[in-house]
Parts: sequence; C-alpha cells; structure tokens
Amino acid sequence: MSFIELKSVVKRYGTNQVLRNVDLTVEKGEIIAVIGRSGSGKSTMLRCINGLEPVQGGEVWVDGVAVHDASADMRALRARVGIVFQSFNLFPHLTVERNITLGPMIVKGMPGEQAAALARDVLRKVGLEEKLKSYADQLSGGQQQRVAIARSLAMAPHLMLFDEITSALDPELVGEVLLVLEGMAREGMTMLLVTHEMSFARRVAHRVIFMHQGKVWEQGPAKDFFESPRTDELKNFLRAVLH
Amino acid sequence: MIREVAWQDVMYLVFAIRWTLLLTLLALSGGSLVGLLVAAGGASGSLVLRNLARAYVGLVQGIPLLAWLFIFYFGLSIVGFNVPPWVAATVGFSIYAGAFLGEIWRGALISIPRTQWEAGLAIGLTYLEQLRHVIIPQAVRVAIPPTVGFIVQLIKNTSLASVIGFVELTREGQLTTAATFQPFTVYLLVAALYFALCYPLTRYSRTLERKRRVVH
Repeated sequence: MSFIELKSVVKRYGTNQVLRNVDLTVEKGEIIAVIGRSGSGKSTMLRCINGLEPVQGGEVWVDGVAVHDASADMRALRARVGIVFQSFNLFPHLTVERNITLGPMIVKGMPGEQAAALARDVLRKVGLEEKLKSYADQLSGGQQQRVAIARSLAMAPHLMLFDEITSALDPELVGEVLLVLEGMAREGMTMLLVTHEMSFARRVAHRVIFMHQGKVWEQGPAKDFFESPRTDELKNFLRAVLH
Repeated sequence: MIREVAWQDVMYLVFAIRWTLLLTLLALSGGSLVGLLVAAGGASGSLVLRNLARAYVGLVQGIPLLAWLFIFYFGLSIVGFNVPPWVAATVGFSIYAGAFLGEIWRGALISIPRTQWEAGLAIGLTYLEQLRHVIIPQAVRVAIPPTVGFIVQLIKNTSLASVIGFVELTREGQLTTAATFQPFTVYLLVAALYFALCYPLTRYSRTLERKRRVVH
C-alpha cells in the first residue's frame, strides 16, 4: 500500500459537494504540489488527509491509518502528519518556544528540557533561533509562518501538509518561507503543498496535481505538466496564472 | 428618639460594608458555578445544551433582580420553606450573576477563532487539552475586564437585598436614617462608601482593558 491513498473520496458541506470521487496515491518521499482555482477542493482534500474534515464517502489511508474510519486513532495520526495553515495560527498567548514544545510535551510526554532543546533545533532549521522567547505579534508574517513550520517539525512528522502557506504573506516575505520548504525537500520529507507559487511548484515538486470541480483533473511530473498540459481546463488555468 | 448622626453611626455604616462584601462574594461564588455551566453549555456543540443555556439567560435577564429576590424570600415561605434573608439573597443573586457571568464567559470562549482549535487539533491535542492549553488561557484574558465590570454592578446591586431585610450597607443606612432623621447626610455617606468600593475596581477594569490590547 502507498503512503497516502485516497479512494473515491467524497466530501460534502450540506448539499454542496466539494470533493467528487477523488483518487490519489502518494509514495513516501514524494513532493506533490496541488494547484487549481479557489473552490476546486484542493484545501479540502488536504484537510481530509489529516482528518480535520470528516469525509462522507470513500477511503483515506495515511501511513497505514484508516482516516475515514471514525474509530481511527487520530491523535497518533496527527502526531505523524503535520499541517501548516495559510493564517499561521500560532498560539498568541505563548512564547515561540512554548508554541513548539506544547505538542511534544503533552502529546508525546517529552520532558521539558528535551523539548526545549528540540525547540532550539527546529527553530535553527527555519533560521529563527533567536526568537525563542518572542511572541507571535512581535514577528513578521514570514517569521510567524516559519515558526508554524517549526512547530509542526517538532512533532517529527512523516508527512507535511501545507495549505497555501505563502498566500497571506507580503510578496517580499514569500521567499524566506519557500527557502525553508526547499530545505525540507532536500531532507526527503514527504510533502503535499497546496500553492499558487507556480515557479516553486515547477522547481521543487516531483509531481503536480491540478484539481478542478472537486476532482483530480490532471496530474503529471512537474516538467511535462507545465510544458504540455493535456486538458483544456488546465491549459486555461495555466494561461490565467502564468500569463 | 431622635438624635444627631454620631461618630458611632458612621462606624456602624462602615462596618456594614462587610455584609455588602460578603453577599457579593457569596453571589460571585454561586454565580461563577452557574456561569461556568451556562458558558460551557452556551459554547458547546450540542444544540440542546446551547438552547438550555440561552433559555436560562433569557429567563433570568428578562425578570428584574428585585422580583427574583421576592420570589425566593416571600415565594418560598408561602410554599412552606422559611428562608432566612441571607439565604434568599445568596440564591437570588447567584442565579442573577450566573446568567450575566455565563454570557460574558460564553462570549469570551466563542471569541477565540476556530483556527486556534484547529491548530491545537493539528498537533494532536485532545478536546480537553485544547481547552486547557489553548482556548481558556486566551478566553480568560478576554473575559477579565467585563467580569470585573460586572462585579462593580454586583456590589451596587446588593443594595436591593435590603428590601428583604438583609442588613448590608443600604439597609444600615435606612436604620440610621430612622433613628436620626437625617437622610441626606446618611445617604451621602452611604453613597461615598459604595463609591470607595467600586471606583478602584472600575479603574482596575479600565487598566486591564488597555493592557489586553498588548497581548501577553
């Protein structure tokens, strides 16, 4: 079985069907970029993978866990699957250090000192070691997002999900966040990124997925995908975003 | 026998403050228990609990506090329970405070964005862990200024307990007036004492409100 397997996944909000039989497989170590118009279901698909959204049909398998099953051990799963959000979602009442140590200490029962050392480690990876004692509102958007990535990394995830993590950033801050992602890519992390950064997707992703009307419409290796799109929908989309 | 307002009368009034404060504390304790339930119910995912909390708040806030006091003091004695004034006052004020504190705290809980819950969930926290480490610490910050503001209201409203014979500051003022026939002097003094209790709290609440803008 593949590392991630989505089989005919259906997601509805009321009568609004957001995912219509989505099929997707991801192998360990793969870096997948997910693109598509807003409302195409790409963020929803990501959120179904770590169970933030329950699915109404189909199967979601992640690292051997049946996420679609209500009795699945979601706590164990979430400790292994990190997600970073568009709006950072740092805990504003806690220091950067505590933001990072909270998960390892509470979910994994890690002793305080070890967690503090870990916090320094992951902050070094995102280049913010000196912000250990800062609060979120003292950081720029790019720095907050890098702390959010560090917070996820502290859980030692097997898989990282990124939900449009540069979309809320000022253009000049996007680069520093993407740099962190490239570092993680080099270390072999399995990553799924919903993104609007086409050049980044092309450069870093192994495979690109185009979502349209709640389906995986087209997918392929990054180079072919951008140079020779097959469907009209993807051609139109690429024309619109690449102009 | 009519006499002048003496030093001794002033001291009686000053000492009556302790009953005002005691009733405030009792009401605050009882009201906090009720308020926690109302807030938890009102902010919960269960429609039944939310409606129960809403009905409670609606009922209590739709009836004057004075009426609640009469219900517990006179009403219960009619059906055979002889309730001393302090019990009737404590119960009445707790019910009243519970509704207002419940609304304040519910508002504080739901003011924390859903994304904070998600961020907690995403690192694997359980519902109770999310509440304890993420939601409540932030909600408390939001809730403190209006809670202190409500305590000021509560202190002043305890004067209503005088009508069911609970001797606190206002009741003591009535008794002193009856003996001296100098209502202006006496109630001016009573007013000054309430002010001395409430004004520092009001100032404190303002300070907290200002501080809240700079989180942490």
